[in-house]
Amino acid sequence: MSRVEKNNEIMISIRNVYKSFGQNAVLKGISLDVAKGDVVALIGGNGAGKSTLMKIIMGIYQPDDGEIFIKGEKVNLNKPSAALAQGIYLVPQEPMLFPNMTVEENILIGFSEKRSILHNRLVELIVQLGWNLKLDRKADSLSIAEQQLVEILRGLLRESRILILDEPTSALTFNEIESLFKLVTDLSSKGISIFYITHRLTEVFDIATHVAIMRDGLFTLKGLVSEFTKEMLIKGLLPPNAKSTSSTAGNVCKQIDHSKTRPVLEVKKYSGYGFSNINLNVYPGEIVGMAGVVGAGRTEFATTIFGMDEVKSGQVILNGEDITSLKTTEVLDKGLNYVPEDRFLNGIFKISDITSNTSSAIVRTSSNFLLNRKKEKEVTDEYIKDFRIKATGQDQILGSLSGGNQQKVVIARALSTAPKLVILDEPTRGIDAGARGDVYTIINQLKESGVAILLISSDLEEIVELSDRAVTMFQGKLTNSFDRAHINLDNLMAASFGVYEEEKAICEKQ
Amino acid sequence: MRKTIKKLTKIRELSSLSFLVLLFVIVGLVNSDFFKIKNLLLTFDGSVMYILLAVGISFVIVTSDVDVSIGSTLGLTAAFIATCVRDDVSLWIAIPATLLIGAVIGFINGIGVAKLKIPSIIMTLGTMGITRGLIYIYTDGKWVENLPDFFKEYSQANIFGFINLFLLVTLILVVLIFLYLSKAKKGRYFAAVGDNIGGATLIGIPVVKTQILAFVLSGVFAALAGIIFVSRVGFVSPTAGSGYEMTAIAACVLGGISLSGGVGSVIGATIGAIIMSSISRILVFLKFSSDLDKTITGILLITIVVADSLLHRRAKEKARKARLSARSTSEEVKQ
Repeated sequence: MSRVEKNNEIMISIRNVYKSFGQNAVLKGISLDVAKGDVVALIGGNGAGKSTLMKIIMGIYQPDDGEIFIKGEKVNLNKPSAALAQGIYLVPQEPMLFPNMTVEENILIGFSEKRSILHNRLVELIVQLGWNLKLDRKADSLSIAEQQLVEILRGLLRESRILILDEPTSALTFNEIESLFKLVTDLSSKGISIFYITHRLTEVFDIATHVAIMRDGLFTLKGLVSEFTKEMLIKGLLPPNAKSTSSTAGNVCKQIDHSKTRPVLEVKKYSGYGFSNINLNVYPGEIVGMAGVVGAGRTEFATTIFGMDEVKSGQVILNGEDITSLKTTEVLDKGLNYVPEDRFLNGIFKISDITSNTSSAIVRTSSNFLLNRKKEKEVTDEYIKDFRIKATGQDQILGSLSGGNQQKVVIARALSTAPKLVILDEPTRGIDAGARGDVYTIINQLKESGVAILLISSDLEEIVELSDRAVTMFQGKLTNSFDRAHINLDNLMAASFGVYEEEKAICEKQ
Repeated sequence: MRKTIKKLTKIRELSSLSFLVLLFVIVGLVNSDFFKIKNLLLTFDGSVMYILLAVGISFVIVTSDVDVSIGSTLGLTAAFIATCVRDDVSLWIAIPATLLIGAVIGFINGIGVAKLKIPSIIMTLGTMGITRGLIYIYTDGKWVENLPDFFKEYSQANIFGFINLFLLVTLILVVLIFLYLSKAKKGRYFAAVGDNIGGATLIGIPVVKTQILAFVLSGVFAALAGIIFVSRVGFVSPTAGSGYEMTAIAACVLGGISLSGGVGSVIGATIGAIIMSSISRILVFLKFSSDLDKTITGILLITIVVADSLLHRRAKEKARKARLSARSTSEEVKQ
């Protein structure tokens, strides 16, 4: 890379930063030096600690331990304004503009200089960058790309020396990405240091000078981009002792022949907001894992099928019946259930007891005018036993159960409707290992009983463990499909980041 | 579509103003007595108290909170200054002390909302009850009356022979605040906090301070309104000012201030307050019973808020869809 001819002056130096939230250690001793003009691509899965690190640099969080130096001087970044004063500026993933203000007001707010001077500087800056941006437009009329430009202008006008770009391309079109890359290169040549957080490995090689990979609160790999290959980056993202292939199913090459069975769920050329042109079949008694990074469109796909979002085009067929664009209650009645990603937000009735929670989905059908408490109790009893839900009794308030047991109740509720297909969205997020095992057992039992399962998970090991088939979603598209033999962490990770390359087919050769 | 919305939002105050003018013209056509200069002036005079309340609460509403304690604050400060005037305490002490009471109540609200993160409706509902209770304790549940005439005469004082002293001072105050909020460096902080609190934090705006200041200003303006209440009405009952918060909130909404925060100006609040305070007068001129006053206020309030929140929701949904679409289509072009 030609622009690495910089003067090597260290701009920001992070030394041994630790951060925990309660019991949960998020950063476990992070050190990183960034020189003037460096573009550091920061990569990592969900929960690796990228955002926490950036929030510490931005003064939103305080580290538990460790130091940060800027140009060799120790700084105390105890609030955002302190970070701003040090010339650090964060361009968040979702631009944080004031929708009711004009572009100019948005950029100039928070400055202490005179408006007229600032205005001139701003106009000059825009000319310099060669952008075409009307200053009197209201922010809510801007496209995402334009909003990002406004954010970057904010940072530049503050004469920021360190820019943090958090997944800047996640909501941009191809042309917009190209001009963003030009801008980043330009800024870097002007000596501005850039943290570039991304989920797209290809971008690393297009734009970054350095790369740092985070996993579990540590850097697993860092250095000049030119020293690495894509494969090495993917290795860095994986757990150290990960088995490269899985072999939980006896004969890994045994193909399940679906040609004679009719799929429970057929999704045809299905498009909605956040995903497009999805084709997918799920067969009875099958677990289909759906991997991908956050924001890939998996949850939107699920909620749209479930009747919670608008369908753009395409078709969803459940057991031969067209359920495209049906309302949620109708989808439920047809035999499809969805267990949401965030049980705290959508999943549970926190202050009701276990019985009410478990039976809440069947209340419509099991009771007439008055509640059929007896039936509710029977159903709940069964699930408490089957799922080993640890509770003092049916009347325990759900909010007082542990996360894992709450999740079991939520799954029980979904099953009480006797669905033909269940979509589980991140079923084990935030629950402990023991409960996780129980949930896996439940999922496998379900499968045995002939229920089809679509398992959305960012935990790749979970997909490897459970799935009969796996698909990966990347930027709203189903990019790859793997049969049992090819489901392994390497493949899934590569495909989730959009860089999977057809490998030697193991089974055909045999 | 985008352009029309943009234009509409730009002239929020203008549409309130045309509503006011239209209202007056219609009433004037039905009953020409309404157009007599004297009546119009009386209508405006009567709105001073509401203008102050609406301007004060507009700071809070623009930061996307609400303050329902202002009616009680008005009552308590009115009772306090009334006793001061009755007992011959110097106005140089009494007025600052009254304003201080308003500021303290506002400060408590501000701490509760900004620091302790209590939802503003709950926090101010609490202080509303406490403050109302304090009035009863302070006055023993009795009216404060027999005030000296000099104080009541302030509300009759005219400048240039026709314009009421309080009205003039209030209008000047409104214009000054308007200029400060729209032109000064820190003037836009209130709107910024209400518009996008996360964004405000990120660019270093002191969010907590701004929120507290909004409540303090709301309290101080309620106290100012309390002083004017005493001068105009001449006595204070323990229920003085109750229900005024609804009128003030309705005035703000009517004046184009969005309850979702970030949008609106004190000019709008002023126009809204004039409309609100003239409704009962207008009803009389239209030969309707003024008992309808509250009902009409309520209907106006709900209509405008519903329209506002529908627009807001649609814009938000549109933005979300645009964002999701961009995510999934970018790949299409690439391949």
